[in-house]
Amino acid sequence: MIRLDKVVKSYKIDEETTFYALKESTVEIKEKEFVSIIGPSGSGKSTLMHLIGLLDKPTSGEIIIQGKKTSGLNDDQISSLRNEFIGFVFQQFNLIPKLTVLENILLPSFYARKKLEYNPKEKALELIKRFGLQGKENSYPNKISGGQQQRVSILRALIMEPKLILADEPTGNLDSKTGTEIMKMLKTLNEDEKITIAIVTHEVDIAKYGKRTIHVKDGKVV
Amino acid sequence: MGYFLFIVRSALDDFRRSKIQTFLTSLGILIGVFAVVTLTAMGLGLKKYISDQFDALGSNTLFVTPGKLLESGGMGASSLLGNRFDLKDLNSLKRVRSIKSITPLSSKSGAAQGTKKSEFSTIFFSSDVFFDISGFEIEKGRFFDKRDVDKRAKVLVAGPKIAEKLFGSISEALDKKVSIDNVSFTIIGVIKSKGGGGFGGPDYDSYFFGPFTTGFIFDPDKKFIRFAMKTDENISILTVKEEVKTQMLKRYKDDEFSIVEPTEILSVVNRIFEIMNIVLVAIASISLLVGGIGIMNIMYVTVSDKTKEVGIRRAIGARKNDILFQFIVEAVALSVLGGALGIGLAYIGILIVQPYFPAYMDVTSVALALGVSSAIGIVFGVLPARKAANLEPVEAIRYE
Repeated sequence: MIRLDKVVKSYKIDEETTFYALKESTVEIKEKEFVSIIGPSGSGKSTLMHLIGLLDKPTSGEIIIQGKKTSGLNDDQISSLRNEFIGFVFQQFNLIPKLTVLENILLPSFYARKKLEYNPKEKALELIKRFGLQGKENSYPNKISGGQQQRVSILRALIMEPKLILADEPTGNLDSKTGTEIMKMLKTLNEDEKITIAIVTHEVDIAKYGKRTIHVKDGKVV
Repeated sequence: MGYFLFIVRSALDDFRRSKIQTFLTSLGILIGVFAVVTLTAMGLGLKKYISDQFDALGSNTLFVTPGKLLESGGMGASSLLGNRFDLKDLNSLKRVRSIKSITPLSSKSGAAQGTKKSEFSTIFFSSDVFFDISGFEIEKGRFFDKRDVDKRAKVLVAGPKIAEKLFGSISEALDKKVSIDNVSFTIIGVIKSKGGGGFGGPDYDSYFFGPFTTGFIFDPDKKFIRFAMKTDENISILTVKEEVKTQMLKRYKDDEFSIVEPTEILSVVNRIFEIMNIVLVAIASISLLVGGIGIMNIMYVTVSDKTKEVGIRRAIGARKNDILFQFIVEAVALSVLGGALGIGLAYIGILIVQPYFPAYMDVTSVALALGVSSAIGIVFGVLPARKAANLEPVEAIRYE
C-alpha cells in the first residue's frame, strides 16, 4: 500500500558536513497490516514516520502510495493525500485548544476537497458514543484527561475514514494502564475495521501489539 | 459555507480569549475611522446647511458684495475687508430695470436685553423686501414695512430662538421692548423657524431684523455690507448681471465688487469642502496606515504563537491556501472590528454634537469606512498569513 523506495533524508549542516537523519532505506507497509517501528531516540524513526506521513519530503528516493509516485505531486495534492488517506496520532495529542472535542474531531472534514459520502457530524457523534466520550462533545481539550485526549485524537484520525493510521509514540504521555487502553483501541481498529496501522515507539511492550516490527538504528532500517 | 463560518468563528474565538489585546490592536483603525466618519459628517452637515440657506433664496437672486468673492476663495473675509456700499449705490442699482426688488444689508451685534435675560445677538438691517427675497414667513405679529423704513422706526422682527430666550416664549416677546447697545426697539413680529443654526453661516432663528434706515443709528457713515436682489424672471440672469455690472462700474473699479448668484456661492462652498475632504483623507490615511501596521505586528505575533497549530492543521490536510485564508480572515476581523467600533463611536459623537452643529452622517461614508478597514486587514494581513502558510509542516508540528 505504501512503499519507501531507497529513501534518504539528509540535512546540509555546512559546506562540508551533511547529517543523515535517514540513510538509504526501503520500507513497505501492506494493506491491513499492524506494523511497529521501533528504535531508540535519535535513531531516525521519527524521520521515517514523517516521510511515511508525507509531512516531509525525502532528499532522494521515492515514496509510492497505492502504486503512485508522490514526488511529482504539488503541495495541494500532498495535503489532500494527508487529509484523505492518512490519519495522524501524536505523542502530545496535538488537539487544538480553542476547539471543542467535537470540533477537533471534525477538523479534517472542514479541509476535505472531495465530497464525503456521509455526514461528518453524525459520524463524529457515533464515534464519540462508540469510544466512550459521550458528554464530552462540547468540552475543551484541557478539561479532559490525557487518555481521553488521545482517544479524541484517534477519532480525529478516523473521521475521514483513512486507509492508514500513523501513531507517533501514542502512549508516550500516558500512564501504562491508559496506554494499554489506547493500544487496544488501535488493535480493534486494525482487526475490526481493517485499517492499516503503523506505530512508532521505543518501548518493546508497545511494539508487541504490532504483527510485524521494523527496527531502526543509527538512521538505518535493519 | 460551513467551512467559511468555521474559519470566522475560529478568528472570533481568539478575540474572546484576549479582549484587551484585541481592543488595543484595533484601536488604531478605530481612531482613524472615527476621525474620518465624524469629520466627514460635520463637513457634510455644514455643506448641507450652507446649501440649504442659499437654496431657500431660489433662482433669480443676485448678490453684490465688495471685493472679489470668487477669486479669493473665502466668502466672509474679502467681503468684510473690501470697501462698503452706501445709499448712492442703492439708488443707482434701483435704476436697473431688470431688478424687481433690492435690499441693502448691514448688521450690528451686541448684548440684547429682554425681560427674562440678556443674550449676545445680531440685528440684520435690510429693507422690507428682504423677507420676500429670503422666503421668510411670519409666525406672530407682522414684518416691518416700507413706512417703517421711511420713518426709521425703532422696530425689530425677531427670530423664534432669540425671542424665546429673551422673553420666555414667542407670544411673550410680541410688542415688548428689547434694548441692544442701549438703543431700545419694539418687537413687532416673530418669524417662523428657518431651522439649522450653529456654526459659520447665519442662524436666522437667533437674529433680529430691522429697517436699514434704523441701522444708521449704529453707523453714521451709512454703509452696507452687501445688496441682495430679486431679478425679473423674464430676463436672463446673465443679462441682469451685465446691467448691474455696468451700473456698478460707473463708481467702482472692476475688482472692487462681485456680482454673484447663490449657485456661484455654492460652487465656492463645494470647492472649500472638496479641499477639506482631501486634507481629511490624507490625515485619515496616516492614522489608518499606523493602525494597519499595528495589525500586521500583532498578526506576526499570532502566527508565531500558532506555529504548532499550523503544523497540526497541515498534518490533517489543510492546504497552504486554507492557512492563508484563516490568518487573513483574522486580520480582516480585527480591522473591521476597529472600523465598526469607530463608526459606532462616531455615531454617538454626532448625536452629541447635533444640537450645536449640523452634523450629518451618510451611508456612503459608513460603507467606505467599512470597505477601507477590510482592505487594510487584507493588505496588512497578507504578509503574516503568507508566513504562516509557508511554514514547513514537519517543522511547525515539532515547534514548542
